[in-house]
Amino acid sequence: MEFQFGTNWAGFSKYAGAIIGQTLAMEGMFAFFLESAFIGALIWGEKRLGPRNHFLAAVGVATGSWLSGFFILVTNAFMQHPTGYTVASNGTLALFDLRAYLLNPWVFAQFAHNQCAALVTGSFAIAAMGAFYTLRGIHPEQSRLYLNAGTLVGLLASVLVAFPTGDAQAKMVGNHQPATLAAMEGRFEGGRLAEVTMIGQPNVSEQRLENPIPLPGLLSFLAYGTFKSYVKGLNEFPKDTWPDNIELLYYSFHIMITLGMIFIGIMAWANWRRWRGRLESSTGLLWILMLAFPFPYIATSLGWMTTELGRQPWLVYGLFRTNKGYSQVVAAGDTIFTLIGFVGLYFVLGLLFLYLTAREIHHGPDAPASAPDRQEAPA
Amino acid sequence: MIALWYGILAFMLTTYIVLDGRNFGAGVLHWIVARNQAERRQVIAAIGPLWSWHEVWLVGTGGVMVMAFPRLMAASFSGCYLALFLILWCVLLRGISIEVGGHLGDRLWQEFWDAVFVFSNVLLAVLFGAALGNVARGVPLTADGTFYLPFFTNFGIHGNVGLLDWYTVPMALFCVLILTAHGATYLTMKTEGAVHERSLKLVRRLWLAVIPAFLFITLLTWAVRPELFQGILFRPFAWTTLVICVASGYAIATGIRNQREHLTLLGSTFLLFGLLMTGAAALFPVVLFSTTEPARRLTAADCAAPEASLVIGAAWWFPALILAFGYLYIIQRHYSGKVNVSKDNQGLY
Repeated sequence: MEFQFGTNWAGFSKYAGAIIGQTLAMEGMFAFFLESAFIGALIWGEKRLGPRNHFLAAVGVATGSWLSGFFILVTNAFMQHPTGYTVASNGTLALFDLRAYLLNPWVFAQFAHNQCAALVTGSFAIAAMGAFYTLRGIHPEQSRLYLNAGTLVGLLASVLVAFPTGDAQAKMVGNHQPATLAAMEGRFEGGRLAEVTMIGQPNVSEQRLENPIPLPGLLSFLAYGTFKSYVKGLNEFPKDTWPDNIELLYYSFHIMITLGMIFIGIMAWANWRRWRGRLESSTGLLWILMLAFPFPYIATSLGWMTTELGRQPWLVYGLFRTNKGYSQVVAAGDTIFTLIGFVGLYFVLGLLFLYLTAREIHHGPDAPASAPDRQEAPA
Repeated sequence: MIALWYGILAFMLTTYIVLDGRNFGAGVLHWIVARNQAERRQVIAAIGPLWSWHEVWLVGTGGVMVMAFPRLMAASFSGCYLALFLILWCVLLRGISIEVGGHLGDRLWQEFWDAVFVFSNVLLAVLFGAALGNVARGVPLTADGTFYLPFFTNFGIHGNVGLLDWYTVPMALFCVLILTAHGATYLTMKTEGAVHERSLKLVRRLWLAVIPAFLFITLLTWAVRPELFQGILFRPFAWTTLVICVASGYAIATGIRNQREHLTLLGSTFLLFGLLMTGAAALFPVVLFSTTEPARRLTAADCAAPEASLVIGAAWWFPALILAFGYLYIIQRHYSGKVNVSKDNQGLY
């Protein structure tokens, strides 16, 4: 991604590089060096380091990834809600106040929301492993550990991702990007007692929602604290500041919310059964836990789509439009070529990941399938 | 401040090429010095633990370039679009081949990933060499300070040039040669047995071959861009880096003669470092020469971020550098000496 700012977003780099470059460079210097130094030790150094230092290496990698997440989200938060900048004499942005840039109020909501979502993904994956082994009746000791940890952390994280972090994020959008909030809810007309729509299909050309099932007042309450608060509709904003793809934004947001509610439901149910000591005998629930693990990935991706589609048509909200940011010397054919290349490469990488992960899961937790002493004798 | 950040950028890119260069070199030699699976695992284990730390120097260079010289990043990265994506894909494939190759004990699996490893490393050495040639020769800048570089046009060095021409191709080959020598030097220090013997033999031959190749490429550079040598003449910083080069050359020769492998590696590391820093000093203050019209060239000041950003950046960059080397120190303490395949092979992940 560091490269992509130069290759594909030359206009943006030139305009905002002096600011966003700070965190991109900090990410490299503070986070990546930490992460990469210890990931080598984590992968290759199990025997040289001994269990204690090997664990510390894992802590180093985790710290590096969390730091890296923070720096990249500061960058994104600046694009959502610019702080700490001035406009230089040549029209580009310059850093004015590093503290205001790094401590952007937007980033705290976003970072907490994002890291909780990552925890949800992790705990669903762990719970799915436990459910899989339990249903097959193998590795009872480990699968109990996986199920206990997965469902406990899963419930905690699923609740936290909605409240207070998701709620804080939505309030940020409501206060700083009102047109985005209107588009996320498919809301064309402004008014009090604004509703959250549980189901409904936006019809942008006729500016209404088809077949809506609304919960009146809830949006007013969630965004501004009282049921009677006024929530603006898209019609109150100039059309050239509307997000470009309202339908996709609307569905990304709504499916993410629905999945989030389902996650809380599944995890609450699982914790109830666990509390009663019946989790391992609830076959139906175990099946659900086993099959649910891909959905947090989907929900997280949809969350990012909501963030990025919602910010359109801006690259830096209110300051710089997306259609000014791309690399003008690069032809469309070139970007399509490299896009196809990346799709191919990541497809192969995805297959590799699935194959190697499935292999380890199938092999079970007793001894690693790829342990050096299991490798072929030298030819 | 601009000169400081130019220096930091040059230092980071140089460090990247010096450090990852030995991995490229080891990759080029992978099939030559290691003839069976056990020997090949030894080569991979020699670079396994640190390659990703090395690669971060490249990523960090990218970050620092956006921050300090946004316009340079915008012009050069979009201008060399396809070449940069080739580099990215090779970097990705190289990383995958190192991490994934050891996961299965299967012979076909390992042979396949070894092939990916060799292919991506050779291409990376060539691409970075060609990139270096392009920096020295210049790019076809248009009036608005942007350019788009095709892979090749007429192989000439003036006007509408491409990535490859009669100057950059020899430069790329020279880089492959010197990085291979560097990689072989590293392997002699880290390996034992047959791999060590073969690498040792190659080290002597490769460094001997570097001498005429270096003279040749210097003459070519003189022909293409004589003003670089004036830059060296009038810039005391370049004299110190030249002294480093000479001392390093002497260290390599002594190291080879007396079979002191650490000294040879130290020499080859600082030789590359000195050469690249001399080049950077010779270029300054120009960051992009123009092959279309000399006056269109971009200087560091043309591309630099506003002063305030640079000052703030300098405040945190130096502590960050100390931390980065701190991690290296911790890791290196556990990894000094020869690799031992039974100890250093890939673990569970």
